[in-house]
Order: sequence, then structure tokens, then C-alpha cells
Amino acid sequence: MNGLARIWLLGCLILPGLAWGEAPVAIPALSAQVTDLTATLAVDQIASLETSLAKIEQDKGAQVAILLLPTTQPETIEQFGIRLAEAWKLGRWRVNDGVIVIVAKDDHRARIEVGRALEGAIPDVVAKRIVAETLAPRLKADDYAGGLQATVAALATAIGGEALPPPAAQQAAGAAEDNKFAFLFLALIFGAVLRSLLGLVGALLAAVVAGWLAWSIFASWLAALIAAAITLLFSYARGGGRGWSAGGSGGSFGGGFSGSTGGGGFSGGGGEFGGGGASGNW
Amino acid sequence: MRIRVFALLLAVVALLSGCGYNQIQINDEAVNAAWSEVLNQYKRRADLIPNLVAVVQGYAAHEKEVLTKVTEARASVAGLKATPELVNDEAAFAKFQKAQAELGGALARLLVVSENYPQLKADANFRDLQAQLEGTENRIAVARNRYIKAVQDYNVSVRTFPNSLTAMAMSWKTKANFTVEDEKAISAPPTIKFDAPAAK
Repeated sequence: MNGLARIWLLGCLILPGLAWGEAPVAIPALSAQVTDLTATLAVDQIASLETSLAKIEQDKGAQVAILLLPTTQPETIEQFGIRLAEAWKLGRWRVNDGVIVIVAKDDHRARIEVGRALEGAIPDVVAKRIVAETLAPRLKADDYAGGLQATVAALATAIGGEALPPPAAQQAAGAAEDNKFAFLFLALIFGAVLRSLLGLVGALLAAVVAGWLAWSIFASWLAALIAAAITLLFSYARGGGRGWSAGGSGGSFGGGFSGSTGGGGFSGGGGEFGGGGASGNW
Repeated sequence: MRIRVFALLLAVVALLSGCGYNQIQINDEAVNAAWSEVLNQYKRRADLIPNLVAVVQGYAAHEKEVLTKVTEARASVAGLKATPELVNDEAAFAKFQKAQAELGGALARLLVVSENYPQLKADANFRDLQAQLEGTENRIAVARNRYIKAVQDYNVSVRTFPNSLTAMAMSWKTKANFTVEDEKAISAPPTIKFDAPAAK
């Protein structure tokens, strides 16, 4: 026990030391699709890139962003890339369809970081080819805007071939339905509570509420009857208190649903990255 | 009666989460998920090797030593049982890590040697495999980092005060993590031999 305690205390001393040993490059704030920390691109070039990137999101829902920065030292571009991806959370929550193009100008190194859902549409081999054959030659010729524009076009083609869930505008209706489903589930649980408080009247009340909810979701009397019957059965079932343990803390879904680009702002939707993609020099 | 049972249940749930029971369960599951991802990516790397060896053999058949090393290292990795239970067994975990590190080293040497063969480097098949291998190595690095963080969270939740009593009562132990020597071996550059045969 003594030895264990000592190791733990040692860990307390070492961990902050490791974190502060070498200050890595700070993650820039995400406010637009194109972030240029090197002042390489002209305003109209940024605008035209952003138009192309916004179009990908409108068409497919996938979020693609570009970052130009001087250097990623002391980290490699891969280490910086995954840190950036974890901070920006590009791509929709649970869909994970984000892509980041990183150009480290002074390092002469570029990387395409690919979100989990797009690892099929943009496998490492394709990402490598885009970096080596589309991006790198143009960067070598100092044509940053052209290289990035061609890269975006190549990414758009690759993403276009993938079957992704439809973009946010078409999904708004779905979210409301989800809320009603949650209410239906609540009605099921409160049925048991109501029945223990009010007896048969409570159970019937819950059944009627569940039936009405089901009717408004499915627009079908059959579904309403089934929901009402299930609620009635559930509230009369012995040990109706089961299912309460499901209320554990829901984890950290910090991403939120701010995936849309409406109103000029741009923020990640909560997508995850697993280190997919490829890097290259020029 | 029903209400009393319900109240008792509520009290038990509240007490258990007070002792960190739920928190430890959540962290334990996070460690399992992170470990599965690590295994998944190691498997992905192992699956790439036969093709890679075949392509390199086509151009550099006389690099027997390097090729044999890779094949042997892969065989020794495949021989180990990579189960989720590995994280609870320090010795087996260390052995698994050693085998994977050896495979990583052998692969790095193979890629260094292949630099000597312009025709091999120009082969489209080889370039694709190399891109896949690079991507997989990066995924392994990411998965390992996430595993390290998950184990850190778990170990902290098992060791900090009220939870440590729960952990003791259930005899849950801390989980194995990647060791420092291991990290050192990986960050060390592979040795390059300059007496290697000249390029064709």
C-alpha cells in the first residue's frame, strides 16, 4: 500500500510537469470554414473557398474546414491534427462527417484529417493522393488558393459519392418527432406512478395520454390503440418500477447541434475523429 | 408497500452513486471501448503486412533479414491472445505491448530499407500500402492516447477516496497502462545501416 501511495504521489508531481514541459501550438478558435493564420490568402480567395465549403455542407451535410498556420512544432502535424479535430468537433454529432485540411506553411507539411464516417469515402490512400498530387505541387508553386480550391473540389467529389444522412434543413422535422417519442416513453413510466396513486383512474388517464401522443406521431388510430394498451398493461404489470435505473448520467455529449452555418457563424457539430487521413510534404 | 420498495430502491441507487459505483462502471466501460479500438487498429496493421511483404519481395527479394523479421514479428503478435481481459493482467499486457512494439520497429526498418529501391518506391501498389500503413500507425497512436486517458480516468476513480472503498469492497484493481519504456522505444528513430546494398 505504501509503495502504491508513493507511485501515486510521484504521478501527481510528474503529470503537470509533462503537460507544461513543451508548450504546444494553441488551437485557434473556429469561426469560419477557412482560418488563415499566415495571412497568405486574399479576402476574395477566402470567400470563394468558403462558398465551395458551404456548398458541400448544404448538399451533403458534411463539414469541411481549412486551417493555414505557420508551424505545428514541437508537435508533428498528425499530433496537432487530432488535437485540432478533438477541439473543433467538425461534422455532425453521431454522423462524424468532418474533414480538416491543415497546411503548416513554414514546416512545408500538409494534412487532411478525416472524420470517422468519411474514412470510407476518403480512405488514407485517397487522402494521400489528394495531398501528394493535388495540393503539394500547387503549394510548391506558391499557388495556395489554387491548391486549396482543387483540394476542396477533390474532397467534394469523394464526399459526394458517400451515402450520408440528409443535411440539417431536412432533419428539423425529425427532431420534433424525437421529442414526442420521449414523451411517449415518459407517459409509459408515469402510468405506473399514476396507477399506484389513483388506481384504475390513473392508469386509464396515462393510457389516454399515451394514445393521443401516439396518434399525433403516427397519425394512425391503430398505433394510438396499441400505445394505450401497452401503457395500461405496463402500469398494471408487477414491479412496474423497473427501468428506473436507466437514468444514469448521460455522459458528455458537449457537441450540441450547432452544425448549421446559418447566420454567418460556423461551428463544429460534434463529430468524432479517429486519426484517419494522410499527410505529405512539399 | 409498492411505494416503500420504490423508496428503498431510490435510496440504494443514491447510495451506490454516492460511493462512486456508477462512476467506476462508466469509466470501466470507457476503458473497454478504448482498448477495443486499440486492438482494432493493431489488427488493421497486422492485416496490411502480408500484402506489404509480398510487394517488397517483388523488388527487393534479397532483403531477407528485414522481411523475415517483419513476418516473424507479425506471427508472434498473432500468436498472442488479444482479448479485452488483457487490460486486467499486467504481465500479459506488457508482453502484448512488447510484441506490438517489435512489429512496429520491424515495419519501420522495412520502410527505411525500401527507400533504397526507386522502382519499389514508384510502384503504385507499394505507395498505396505505405499510405495505409502510415494512416494505421497514426490511428494506433490516437487510439493509444485515448486509451491512456481512459485508464487514467478509471484509475483515478478507483483510487480517490470514497470510491476507493467501493473498489476495495468489489476488489476492482487499477488497469494496466502503456509504460514509459514503451513510449521511449517508439519515439526512438530506427537504426539505419549505411552498408545496405546500393540502389539498383
